[in-house]
Amino acid sequence: MVRTDEDGRGEQPGGPGATAAAPPRGSRTRSRIATAVGVFGELLITVGVLLALFVVYSLWWTNVIADREAKKQSDKVRENWAKGPGALDTRDGIGFLHAPGLKEGEILVKKGTATKTLNNGVAGYYTKPVKSAMPWDKKGNFTLAAHRDGHGAKFHNIDKLDEGDAVVFETRDVWYVYRVYAKLPETSKYNVDVLAPIPKESGRKKPGRYLTLSTCTPVYTSRHRYIVWAELERTEKVDANRTEPAELR
Amino acid sequence: MYGWIWRHLPGNAWVRALISLLLVLAVVYVLFQYVFPWAEPLLPFNDVTVDE
Repeated sequence: MVRTDEDGRGEQPGGPGATAAAPPRGSRTRSRIATAVGVFGELLITVGVLLALFVVYSLWWTNVIADREAKKQSDKVRENWAKGPGALDTRDGIGFLHAPGLKEGEILVKKGTATKTLNNGVAGYYTKPVKSAMPWDKKGNFTLAAHRDGHGAKFHNIDKLDEGDAVVFETRDVWYVYRVYAKLPETSKYNVDVLAPIPKESGRKKPGRYLTLSTCTPVYTSRHRYIVWAELERTEKVDANRTEPAELR
Repeated sequence: MYGWIWRHLPGNAWVRALISLLLVLAVVYVLFQYVFPWAEPLLPFNDVTVDE
């Protein structure tokens, strides 16, 4: 429709007498309105296409980029570990999270929850507003965040984790085997108490070695936060072949 | 708008179609590489952390 109107207008000046015979004034106004409507329609179509492209970008392309980057960074950490004992450099990441329920394989864990860090398809441990404990600390809460959608979407399946599921954290020398014992399917994004050393909302009252996973919910939005709590069950020394603990086999 | 671009492209219909396709690809590239990464943090879709 738009094309026809505009083409019609385009032919007008050079066109034969048929249009010239019509009252010039009314015809010109009408064609001007037609052009305005046409441009407006094209703008609407353009906006629609832009939004569709943005969805493709958010839900697909960012994953492609992030997974590529995460792979690169994970390989680097594995390489560092392979160099053998000695001072451990944790700048590139402190270890890997394995949660069979998430179906994401190994997830690299790095320091901090800055957007720039998490956008690389990794999980980050909190440095603020509540400082995370480390898995090897005697007591405390090891608190992690990762994307639910896009940028690797490492915690996309967080709602598939249930009480009793194993979550394993792998460092160079030790496997930390955690068990999920509580979850909070929806909480405010300002609820920083979930990161407390003793997360009271999970039902625990005594100090212990906890793990907290946080991401956004419902899917495709950032309106609320989804929290999963796990507690350390046991640790296992990493052997020469890096044999995975029974929970992952 | 698009009609205007089409009329100002050189060549016959096939050449114009090819140039149009290249233009579309160029626009998509610029969007994915520069515009969307810039716009994304400004939109409330991807905050995952709890914060004060």
